[in-house]
Amino acid sequence: MNRFTLIRRSLTFHARAHAGVLIGAAIGSAALIGALVVGDSVRISLRDMALARLGKTQLALNSGDRFFRDQLAAAIQTNIGTNLNIRLASAIQLQGAANSVNDSARANHVQVLGIDSSFWRFADQPPGFTDIPDDSVVINEPLANQLNAKVGDTILIRVLKPSLLSRDAAITPQDDVSVAMRLKVQAVVSNAQLGRFSLRANQVAPFTAFLSRSNLQSRLKLPGKANLMLASGDIDAESADIKLEDSWKLADAELELRPAPAANEIELRSSRVFLDPAKIAAAKAAAPNAQPVLTYFANEIWHDTNTTPYSMIAAMGPPVVPTDLSGNEIIINQWLADDLNAKPGDDISFRYYLLDAGRALRQATNTFRVHSIVPLAGAAADRDLMPDFPGVSDAETTRDWDAGFELETDRIRPKDEQYWKEYRGAPKAFITIAAGRKLWANRFGDTTALRWPANSVNTNELASAILKNLKPAAVGLSFVPAREQALTASAEGMGRYFNWLFIGFSFFLIGAALLLVALLYQFGLEQRSTEIGTFLALGFRPKEVRRLLLREGVALGLFGGVIGAAGGLLYAKAMVSGLTSIWSAAVGSASLEFHFTIATLISGIFGAAIVSALTIWWTLRKQANQSARELLNEGGDAAAQRFDASAGKWVLVIGVLMLLGALGTMAGAFKKGLSSSAEDFFSVGAMVLIGGLLFVRVWFAALNRKSMATGNDQLSMTRGQLSLRNATRRSKRSVATIALLASGTFLVVAIAAFRLDATEDAGKRSSGTGGFALIGESALPVSQNLNTEKGRDFFGLNPKTMDGVSFVPMRVREGDEASCLNLNKAQVPRVVGVKPDQLSGRFTFAGVADGVDSSKPWLALERGNFHPADGKPLGPDEIPCIADFNSLMYALEKSVGGTIDMTDEMGRPFKLRIVGAVANSILQGNLVIDESEFIKRFPGESGYRMFLIDAPPDKLKDVSAALSRGMSDLGIELTSAVDRMNAFNAVQNTYLSTFQVLGGLGLLLGSAGLGVVVLRNVLERRGELALLLAIGYRRRELQRMVLTEHALLLVLGLGLGLITAIIAILPAILSPTGGIPWRSMPITLLAVFLNGAIWTWVATRIALRGELLSALRSE
Amino acid sequence: MHKNPLLAARDLQRAYAVAGRATGVSVLDGVELNLNAGDSVGIIGPSGSGKSTLLNIVGTLDRADAGSITLDGQDLAKLDERALAEVRNRKLGFIFQFHYLLPQCTLWENVLVPTLAQAAGNPSGVEDRAKKLLNRVGLGDRLNHRPGQLSGGERQRVAVVRALINKPKLLLADEPTGALDRHNAEELIKLLLELNREEGVALVVVTHARDLAFKLGRVLELRDGKLHELQEVEAAR
Repeated sequence: MNRFTLIRRSLTFHARAHAGVLIGAAIGSAALIGALVVGDSVRISLRDMALARLGKTQLALNSGDRFFRDQLAAAIQTNIGTNLNIRLASAIQLQGAANSVNDSARANHVQVLGIDSSFWRFADQPPGFTDIPDDSVVINEPLANQLNAKVGDTILIRVLKPSLLSRDAAITPQDDVSVAMRLKVQAVVSNAQLGRFSLRANQVAPFTAFLSRSNLQSRLKLPGKANLMLASGDIDAESADIKLEDSWKLADAELELRPAPAANEIELRSSRVFLDPAKIAAAKAAAPNAQPVLTYFANEIWHDTNTTPYSMIAAMGPPVVPTDLSGNEIIINQWLADDLNAKPGDDISFRYYLLDAGRALRQATNTFRVHSIVPLAGAAADRDLMPDFPGVSDAETTRDWDAGFELETDRIRPKDEQYWKEYRGAPKAFITIAAGRKLWANRFGDTTALRWPANSVNTNELASAILKNLKPAAVGLSFVPAREQALTASAEGMGRYFNWLFIGFSFFLIGAALLLVALLYQFGLEQRSTEIGTFLALGFRPKEVRRLLLREGVALGLFGGVIGAAGGLLYAKAMVSGLTSIWSAAVGSASLEFHFTIATLISGIFGAAIVSALTIWWTLRKQANQSARELLNEGGDAAAQRFDASAGKWVLVIGVLMLLGALGTMAGAFKKGLSSSAEDFFSVGAMVLIGGLLFVRVWFAALNRKSMATGNDQLSMTRGQLSLRNATRRSKRSVATIALLASGTFLVVAIAAFRLDATEDAGKRSSGTGGFALIGESALPVSQNLNTEKGRDFFGLNPKTMDGVSFVPMRVREGDEASCLNLNKAQVPRVVGVKPDQLSGRFTFAGVADGVDSSKPWLALERGNFHPADGKPLGPDEIPCIADFNSLMYALEKSVGGTIDMTDEMGRPFKLRIVGAVANSILQGNLVIDESEFIKRFPGESGYRMFLIDAPPDKLKDVSAALSRGMSDLGIELTSAVDRMNAFNAVQNTYLSTFQVLGGLGLLLGSAGLGVVVLRNVLERRGELALLLAIGYRRRELQRMVLTEHALLLVLGLGLGLITAIIAILPAILSPTGGIPWRSMPITLLAVFLNGAIWTWVATRIALRGELLSALRSE
Repeated sequence: MHKNPLLAARDLQRAYAVAGRATGVSVLDGVELNLNAGDSVGIIGPSGSGKSTLLNIVGTLDRADAGSITLDGQDLAKLDERALAEVRNRKLGFIFQFHYLLPQCTLWENVLVPTLAQAAGNPSGVEDRAKKLLNRVGLGDRLNHRPGQLSGGERQRVAVVRALINKPKLLLADEPTGALDRHNAEELIKLLLELNREEGVALVVVTHARDLAFKLGRVLELRDGKLHELQEVEAAR
């Protein structure tokens, strides 16, 4: 016989009494382990998804609208060698849209990938084919599902035709912006076959269409070009960048060095028309004698009444333009002099489109004095001076020009055509480079070429020297550790909070289970009081007895933990299944799968066992403190004699302090103006609840003191008073029961008030929709101004339909969605550019940085309007930014006043300074900056791709239909602002639902706890109740009495919970968008009451059934 | 023997079913008992002889398998549960080995608890009676004390007052001294006999303690399911 045997014997002997404790511990363990396993499932699923979207990809180089040679990958591969496991592939990645042939199904925002066979080597399970015929397309499962397409079906794919010169430029062709292809579905690729491929950190798989790269190249007129490179194998981004630098050529930087024979010069030009500053700097460093050239075209040149249409004018240096030419002088060629009948000293004027004015096509006019006339020969007849203006440089005739404006063909004379035929774009006039830049410098650049005398440089050496001075990153070519970023995004996103989130959701369930453990264990102990007394009588010290009992408790906790583990797995499975079905909004529709790790299971079992053991220890604290005589002599009667309704003054003092604390916190919340801070909600709730419970305690004590205080003055007694007195008999037990019911009621009721409904106040400018009716997002950029008749006319929008409709257009730099819909952490968040005044008065700000005029917070986006409180002006690399409060707090983990590190299109780092946060809005997921700042940082991002649209409510349907129809080629997707808001709200609402369901389960268990308390109370008092029966009470009366006293606890619990909930949600109720959930609250309360009443009734019935009178028998 | 006895039990039979046996164990097998107002009877017998069963049947807490009981002219077998509860409340008083006082109630409240079983609430004059009885048992100055503040003997005296509060005609005591020491046990029996005389209430005491039983007017022994008269105590006195 040893203590272990004793524990073993006790466990088996008291097995029945322990069963309840074991069940309680198992439920607690199941809820805890379940929550941890849900966390595992989300985390591992996200990781799996991150890896599935990359396949074997380690690194990625995505150069957006900058194209390099597709052979660059092969060159790097050669440089690395093929003996290592490193593999590279290049591809074209573009935005597009897809629809079924009969247009019955459509997918906007389709990722179109032009690939060759090397791409499939990045798949974990390469598909059975390698090549995609030119008439075919391979699609992924989401796109197949969206289009309801299967192998052999024909679908339409529309791809944005990349423009080397931004489509925002006035002279860029606007027609034919996309290429439509009718293609046969060759295969539908699965996730394992890289169907999920994406470089965006998002758990939602994109729609993807895979085409043959060469086919796409030829359709887009981008022969041999690519803008995406992938690398697999054991290589880091830094090494890959070095290999890239060793392997690249000028063509990869979209540069070309070529002879300009007319001038006997070597010219550096770019297919992007304008040379980037970094390229100019590199070239000048390579050969400092470079002469810049800026050639632009004039719509008209005139002198007196003579006019010449559509002519090139070059701003340049010698030999054509002498160094002493002044800024207002112009040199014209003989052809123009003859045509205009102009001579030196005459003034001639020309007008041209302002390049930066976008589709407004604003023209400017300038007048120059003719300095001299040059013959149309040699350097002055250099057709290479004209850059590769899209739609112009390759035109056969002037009439064929396909520029971004309407050509007035009737002004084109035969002699103009003749000139074009003989001299193409040879400029007809020349000005100084300084004068030219003054007129035509724009955000794309101020130089169309650099030239060197042919005899001063060696082309090959110059090319090498330029490349040596130019870093690939400066032209957007650099590898990023895609795999590492994906794993970081999945590990650091919202997914990592899910175990805690579900522990939080299950908290009440776990708490209720533990309370059950405590209650049942306590009851078990009370039944064993004589046993404890015997131990003490036998010489055990109270501490030793407690230790023995604690070991029993630990064993029970451990058994409960193990049993609960199985339940926990089932519970987690149910939760995961909920998260992929009814609660899918909470996880942004991620396709979660059930996963668990042994480590989680073991830590969960031990965690649950420890918590149960602690609960038992807490229960045990006062046990074995009674004397052996008391325990042995009074035995079971001791419990009946115990009376614990005392409450000291300190209880009241603490209660008052709690309420004062709650009031203070609420006053603070109102002052801050935050209507629904979770911290305030929980702290006010906790303080009111604890304060209330302490008051109940004091009240119970007062009730018990009452008769003593009043002496014999009040001698009569009613049944109600007797019930009340009975309820206060075990006041700690009663208060614990009230506490459980009150906390459950508080949570379940209060949570309902946090449900968000975008429908209310949707029309208000201060609401989350900003008062906008629609949100439009196009796959392809829109350069037209949709607020003008001309812009609307371009898309064939009926003026009558569009009457009263206005647009706030936004430029978009694609990035990771930084909203609650993305479980991954946004690595490179999406940035949108807007004219700040267009959002004035819209949305409600949750907070603004110091130094922001809170009456006009949107204007703080303009650099000049933001004056940081520290007095230091914003640095040149800091840009004011406004974002949604939830996006900042949860997706980006930033706050107002903080900064976000970004990289611009040229690879230069800059910071976004958060100057304001908008409360719960449709702007979630976007970082909003001033459009002018956007253009500087992302000049390549042409046009607008996001539109916030005001429309009269009664025309919403018509407007939506008209826009969808008119802009379908651009892949426009229109969403009602309310729907978008509700989609965001659904996340919070779903969390609340989950919380309510699990809280409800906890309350159910808590009510079962109430049942146990009833049962125990009645069993403990069976003798007394039998006596009442003996002295003339009827059984029904006893039932009624027991029900009444426990219903009192139920009502007190519900009442206190309700009052606490109302106080805690008061700031939310009083907020502009808040309100009391009148519909759901009474239902919830009734359900809780009925549930508690049923348990009480059942427990009363059970406890009072059978031979109650046997309790009175002495035999 | 009086013409109209307060209690007349005729041929009471009671058996308990036993698992695994076709026939039950007979506890009462033709018990006959007559009691008149003011009688005091002690019932003794070995453990398991059926003393408490008999008391419960007499006290309407249990029913006999056969036989009849008339209390104060009422045939108890013909009464439903509600009427039986009223009989218990108005005509009977109970004292048990354990006092079963409500620990949450004061001594005063405990005494008044039986009056609450009556639909009309506290009957008039009940408070004076409660005071009188409590003074009588020496607890008149401790009305606001709780059971936990009393000694075992005092608690049992409160139980006696509670049993008498509704002026019962018959006071049934089931091992009332079982949980008391010798001194308190004797004091309680003395008190019961005094109250028996003062209140005119008939008294039946079931006990193991023969010497205490012999302090009562009659002593009956329950043996083999039947009551046997041992002596007429009164006569002996």
